[in-house]
Amino acid sequence: MKRLILALSAVILSITVNYAYAANRIAVSINPPSVQANMGDTITYTGTITNNSDKAANNIIAYISLSNVTQGKESPMDLEDWSANKAIKIDTIQPHGTYGGKWPMRLIDSGSYVAYITVVDKNSNIPVSSEMSHLEVKRILRLNPNNVLPVAIGEPLIIGIVFMFVALRRRKGVK
Amino acid sequence: MIVNVENLVKKYDGHTALDGLNFGVEDGDIFGFLGPNGAGKTTTIRILTAIIKADSGNVVINGHDVFREPMAVKEIINALPESNGYYEWMTAREYLEFFSNLYEEEMSRQEIDGLLEAVGLHGKEGHLIRSYSRGMKQRLGIARALVNKPKFLFLDEPTNGLDPKGRRDIHDLLIDLNRKHGTTVFLSTHLLDDVERLCNRIAIINYGKIVRAGEVKKGTIEDIFFMSTKEGTL
Amino acid sequence: MKTTYIMQKEIRESILTSKGFLWYTLTSIILSILSYLFLTNSELSLLDQGQMLYMIMNFITALGILMGLVFGSDAFAGEIERGTLEALFISPVNKTEIAMGKLGAAVTNWGIIFVISLPYLFVVGKGGQNLLIGIAYLAILGTLLAIIFSAFSMGLSARIKSMKNSLIISFFIFLLAGAPIFLSAALRKTWFGMILDLINPFADAINTFDSVVIDSQGFSYQAGRVAIICGYTLLSLWFLKRSVSRLEM
Repeated sequence: MKRLILALSAVILSITVNYAYAANRIAVSINPPSVQANMGDTITYTGTITNNSDKAANNIIAYISLSNVTQGKESPMDLEDWSANKAIKIDTIQPHGTYGGKWPMRLIDSGSYVAYITVVDKNSNIPVSSEMSHLEVKRILRLNPNNVLPVAIGEPLIIGIVFMFVALRRRKGVK
Repeated sequence: MIVNVENLVKKYDGHTALDGLNFGVEDGDIFGFLGPNGAGKTTTIRILTAIIKADSGNVVINGHDVFREPMAVKEIINALPESNGYYEWMTAREYLEFFSNLYEEEMSRQEIDGLLEAVGLHGKEGHLIRSYSRGMKQRLGIARALVNKPKFLFLDEPTNGLDPKGRRDIHDLLIDLNRKHGTTVFLSTHLLDDVERLCNRIAIINYGKIVRAGEVKKGTIEDIFFMSTKEGTL
Repeated sequence: MKTTYIMQKEIRESILTSKGFLWYTLTSIILSILSYLFLTNSELSLLDQGQMLYMIMNFITALGILMGLVFGSDAFAGEIERGTLEALFISPVNKTEIAMGKLGAAVTNWGIIFVISLPYLFVVGKGGQNLLIGIAYLAILGTLLAIIFSAFSMGLSARIKSMKNSLIISFFIFLLAGAPIFLSAALRKTWFGMILDLINPFADAINTFDSVVIDSQGFSYQAGRVAIICGYTLLSLWFLKRSVSRLEM
């Protein structure tokens, strides 16, 4: 029994040490920690990736994830639609150095979301993620963005008027 | 001789439409070109007006080789095809103006109105063609065929589908054109009284060959035609 | 000059008519609806501005091509069916001049669609990236595509002499040209998909718009695709010339 307890303790210790090593070696944080914005706005998340070890970290991949946490709509989002940058590959982070990555994002739908940045280091078995940044996107209805209404209503009307002018001129030339 | 046709051959998918056609038309003639349906009348006109090419043979019109100088030939000839369509959204005047513009010598507005008057369409110049009767369209077609004041005019069944008055009007117009302006007329038809009334010389075509040619004598056309083509019906 | 007269006739016959204006009004209404939905932040606007501009450019190009196909199919077969071509052939105008006049009208039609689309492009692309360069590419490649598809359809119309059949075949070819767009992104990245994309002038144009407007890439990235489109333009003109020179009533 004692042997079993010892063996289990050794396994748990080894996992904990590994985890602690990984967590200590690379750390990532996301900023701002929470955002409130409107649909159509563009916001930028900043990720700070820190190499806490004495060795350079090479070929690090960092990417942002966004999940919809609105009641009844829970799902991960396809960031291509949100024009967010895809993954960033970082060639090297010097020992005890940091890297700042930027992820601009266009808010295309209303709801509650969480965003977080994940760092993958091929020398570690465990990915490291930042804390979650809460994002609240409010629906707003802009009736005339970019002055679209005068064009959207005016142009078909102008074409109709030109047609009537051409038809009338033609009718005058024909008996 | 204004038109000289020698050994004209045209085949379509193995079928011989013209089989060594030979004939000539004198300047100032109203030349009747007769033949049963499918004898090769329309094919002959299309070759002579440089719309299609013959497989072999020679055609010279007013000294121009039709195959080598088609554009020179087109400047001095004109034609009214059998099933002539119209740009029905145009007025008669616009229609003639459009075709006149395609020739080296364009007609003036006055000349066009004069032409429309000559074919009996005076007062209808500004009407849309779609409002015209069949007879009016046929007159307009003839007017279109005169926009370049042609030396030589081809008419393919010009009185087809017209009532007796319409036919007589077209006859009078062609006689007038021939006598006053010296236009040589090539009249393709299967209506023997058209030929009798209008033509001074004829050629009868059957199976792509000329089977009889000569001057017209009143009252003999029908006999000549049936003897030459052995056709019971036309 | 004769080409100009033919072109004027074609423009009056097909463009300055109630049917022509109905087309243009519908085009403008569809563009109005698209632009409004894109810009008003409704749930349909799941796109960024470059993407919107790119999609409107694709729509305009496809519409220009489709209308070019209708113009082309009617060009010779329609006139034969209405019995009007023979009178044209009797006139001292050569067949190439007639074809060029008709092609000129088809390109004019494209020009009108392009002009109609300009205000929408400016509204949708305002403040976004690569608007002017995108419009320049649309003007050039759209014109070349209008020539390619109209000339091809005209050539078919001269060969087949049936408006209905040449229209069906032209539409079928257009659908084939558009087919690679429906391939999955992964399949399009395979050598097969890439070749299919490259040899297809419509896909070449759309990929160029994507590259210019969304990816902000320079001309050196576009040169190959533009060269292929130019090649197709010459090929379609050659096909048209050859088809009409063989045309007999």
